Amino acid sequence: MFEIVSNWVAAFLTLCIFSFLYKDNPFYRFAEYLFVGVTAGYTIPLTWEQAFIPYVYRPLFLQHKFVLLIPAIIGILYIFTFNRKLNWLSRFPIAFGMGIVGMGVPLSMHASVLVQMHGAMIPIENINTLLVFIGTVTILLYFYFSKAHTGTYGKVVKIGIWYMMIGFGASFGYTVMARISLLIGRIQFLVADVLHIIK
Amino acid sequence: MNLFERLQKLDRRWIFLVVAVAIILPLIFPFNSKTYTTDPTEKLYRLIDSYAPGPHEKAIEKDKAVLMVFTHDASTMPELFPMEVAILRHCFERKIKVFTMTFIPSAAPIMDYAINTVKEEFPEIKSGEHYVNFGYKIGALALPIVLGMGEDIAEAVDIDAEGRKVSSLPIMKNVKNYNEMNLIMDFSGSSAGGMWITYARSKYGANVGVGVTAVMAADEYPYLQTGQITGMLAGLKGAAEYEKLVDVFASNPDPAKREFSRELLKDPKWDDAITNQNIQYKFKQARIGMNAQSVAHIMIIVFILIGNIGYFITKYKQKQQG
Repeated sequence: MFEIVSNWVAAFLTLCIFSFLYKDNPFYRFAEYLFVGVTAGYTIPLTWEQAFIPYVYRPLFLQHKFVLLIPAIIGILYIFTFNRKLNWLSRFPIAFGMGIVGMGVPLSMHASVLVQMHGAMIPIENINTLLVFIGTVTILLYFYFSKAHTGTYGKVVKIGIWYMMIGFGASFGYTVMARISLLIGRIQFLVADVLHIIK
Repeated sequence: MNLFERLQKLDRRWIFLVVAVAIILPLIFPFNSKTYTTDPTEKLYRLIDSYAPGPHEKAIEKDKAVLMVFTHDASTMPELFPMEVAILRHCFERKIKVFTMTFIPSAAPIMDYAINTVKEEFPEIKSGEHYVNFGYKIGALALPIVLGMGEDIAEAVDIDAEGRKVSSLPIMKNVKNYNEMNLIMDFSGSSAGGMWITYARSKYGANVGVGVTAVMAADEYPYLQTGQITGMLAGLKGAAEYEKLVDVFASNPDPAKREFSRELLKDPKWDDAITNQNIQYKFKQARIGMNAQSVAHIMIIVFILIGNIGYFITKYKQKQQG
């Protein structure tokens, strides 16, 4: 019974959202506001249950691990971001967070730059590696702005532009596929789970 | 006003209606269309399949496992959920140890839903023995957990979604860190898989696979080319491919034919999956969706062609008129 009711509620809200395709209307806005409210309402108790209780309350008050007071107090300093006079205190937890980001820099350099560069420096053994080589060089040349894109240099750079256009086309094609997939998912829900037309 | 001029001024709501009809009809009246599998999907399938226990090996003794990370909410479910169901089905069918986890609060119920959807077909599969749901872990702890699992999973995660001590679970026998939980499969509509490449792969050498929405697929190809990503499922198409591979091999009624082979994949009898009543709807959802996808793509191509022809004809006429 619960499943039937929840499916019909979901179907009603889906149609409310789809109604925007005709024009903006109160049903669409109701569904939109409800979504924002439900998301916030769901996240707050879940964070309390899954974060505060197991990582702060339990170790601090039940297991008496008082060393946790230090990160807890640093974390609480975030709240001063709303106070004009004391908002400088909120910079301490931000600085701590930035330090953690810095920890990832060497590994990010390795994964996103060095290994990727190595991947572009492979011997030209077949047509694919040749295409990768031409594309990498001509696109990098396009982004070299200390020389005017004219004459022979301009023609070479134009190859880079073509490569980028093909890349953008591929991305656009994938984007169309993704958006259609979302519509398919909703319609599959309506015709299979709600109306039981397909099984 | 001629036909092309009228089309140029057509109310876009008519196009929405045509696209909606083009999608609804193939879903209500499904037809068999071929699903071609691609290299990134096959690589992933073969790696996961290599973690299956041998015929004389107990599943619990196996020292290889898969971690599935759900980094998405309901908005990307149409593309990512069929992938998750297909991989879970593969793991349950072949008794491959599988762990699930998320750092996103709204992904926690999706994770439960995916596990329960598949598990109801496999009554012999037990939580804590064949799979474990680590549940939702707060995003702030993502980095310590990702790095910690490289040393000791049971210490980094501590308790699972059911509140059990991870170290005490039977599934943890012979599984300590990324050497054993050797494939991390991240499902997202973003570049979240990058975290696993940066930390789990670069530092500990774990294999990383991604299941991404089609929008993100183009961004992931460079990592696929350099081998930093072992395999990729791209959008609904990737999900449909994996569904087919599970049908052809992992769920093959003949146990002798469960190993991957290109010959078996070419057999036309596997192309009737969409209308085959023996395959449950939830295990062919992506393939049915791809039917509608194909029709919608043809519609969009036709619209683009008509729009461009109309544009050039109108421009030519305006030029003629001076």
